[in-house]
Amino acid sequence: MEHDAVNAEIVCRCEEVTADEIMEAIRNGADSLDAVKKATRAGMGFCQGRTCKRLIARMLACYYEMPVDRFLPGSLRLPVTPVKLSLLAETEDAADEIQEGSACEK
Amino acid sequence: MRRVTNHPILEIEDKAEIPIVVDGKTLYAREGETVAAALTANGIRVFRHTAKRHEPRGLFCGIGQCTDCIMEIDGVPNQRTCMTIVREGMVVNTQNGNGNSGGKDDGHV
Amino acid sequence: MGMYDVIVVGAGPAGLGAAIEAKKCGASVLLLDENDRPGGQLFKQIHKFFGSKEHYAGTRGYIIGQNLLNEADELGVEFRLGVRVWGLYPGGGVTATDGETSVRYFARKIVLATGATENALSFPGCTLPGVMTAGAAQTMTNVQHVLPGERFVMVGSGNVGLIVTYQLLQAGAKVCCILEAAQKISGYGVHAAKVRRAGVPILTGHTILRANGTDGVESVVTAKVDERFRPIEGTEETIECDTVTLAVGLSPRIELAGVSGCKMAYSPALGGMLPLHSDDMETTCGNILIAGDLSGIEEASTALDEGRMAGCRAAYALGYRTSKEYEETKRALLNRLNALRAGPFGEKRRAAKEALWNTMR
Repeated sequence: MEHDAVNAEIVCRCEEVTADEIMEAIRNGADSLDAVKKATRAGMGFCQGRTCKRLIARMLACYYEMPVDRFLPGSLRLPVTPVKLSLLAETEDAADEIQEGSACEK
Repeated sequence: MRRVTNHPILEIEDKAEIPIVVDGKTLYAREGETVAAALTANGIRVFRHTAKRHEPRGLFCGIGQCTDCIMEIDGVPNQRTCMTIVREGMVVNTQNGNGNSGGKDDGHV
Repeated sequence: MGMYDVIVVGAGPAGLGAAIEAKKCGASVLLLDENDRPGGQLFKQIHKFFGSKEHYAGTRGYIIGQNLLNEADELGVEFRLGVRVWGLYPGGGVTATDGETSVRYFARKIVLATGATENALSFPGCTLPGVMTAGAAQTMTNVQHVLPGERFVMVGSGNVGLIVTYQLLQAGAKVCCILEAAQKISGYGVHAAKVRRAGVPILTGHTILRANGTDGVESVVTAKVDERFRPIEGTEETIECDTVTLAVGLSPRIELAGVSGCKMAYSPALGGMLPLHSDDMETTCGNILIAGDLSGIEEASTALDEGRMAGCRAAYALGYRTSKEYEETKRALLNRLNALRAGPFGEKRRAAKEALWNTMR
């Protein structure tokens, strides 16, 4: 696969999406964080956009000449942090045992 | 990159040395520290190479939010080294891509 | 089973404050935190805090942290550490995982004290090992006692940038300079003076253009910028270094509040998008309160007092305090918060907070 020169300007660190790729998506009509995500995968990785959202929102705000809060916070969904699918399905109500004891125990 | 031994404010305690295996080599960590700290103290700052561009990554946010620092630990990929405390004999490997199967559901982040 | 009066998410100063106050009022409290140790970002704060005696003026952050933990422990606050809350549900359900199992708790009131995320910057080479947030360098140095580099370039002259620079110097590192894109230093003068006296130049009107290196940072290229932050041609300079620390602001960590449907507001003075809240720290969701950096980027002392407010309010709403008792506590806490938000720096935050409170009314 063709890369840019060494040390590209990466915006979405998790999915390795560069600023150029995001700008291209915006020029092709992406007008929200979700649209940029669909076109480039930016915001889909492990950190779920925590690191790149603000940067992408600023790029959108600059291009569309609108205030940045028009593009934030973007869509927020459960789980808010990646959890194994099997764990999600097996969530159980907490047992009584944690009612005992008090000190910082794991 | 080195251990801080003298400090005007902080009390630097002497902690027990703990052997861990990094990419097949035995290195020494200190009891109670994170894997990221142990690697850094041993002069290692490339923790993985990315899936798409095969680029080196290491510590970025340091508090478990960005997932840049992930490595394979004891056979499980995508472990946040900045949040994982060292254990004696822990096996740490530089990760390539997203771990064994590359899916987000594999391993625990 | 697993049912509590109050569940507090996040055991930094705000969460600890909330848990302590709610417990003192007689509520049953569970405190959850994703880290193996509570205290949030307090334990890497090795500098002395400002403020009044009640705000532990002259005390270092990590000592305050330890005192709070002792207090929580003595009161019998239940902790669950190494646990990440991944969902909140109507009806008070809180789901959390430690990676092995996933558990659902129930609470009549939930206090979210999830803190903030450090902002990232994007530039060519920004993913090279050696580029990290200022907080990452601070944690590695002050908590793990490992210097993550030898020659640093700090980006950002707010208090985080200034304080972390000083702490890196204390640990024996060299900091080549601090780059500030604006035309003036954005942190407190007292911190800036300390850093300058230690020999670190603060270059206002400068930015980082890129980081160079193959397996890690080897140098950076900087340039002067104009008042619109545009690089000025011909002013590029290369600085040899191995670490670039980014101190370009914090943003409230709003995910849990957001998925619960709490209405958001945009407040630049407080870090951007955050949940709308009253001066009692209640959100638009009836059973959710917030405190600390989640409700606006400030300091540990405001976080602690806001946490106390949220804890008291939750306990009062559940019937553990009379309205008279609550009003007295609230007034005392608001006075302290106003004192913390005094002065030219605090004023902006105070005004921003009041605007939010007024929007809620």
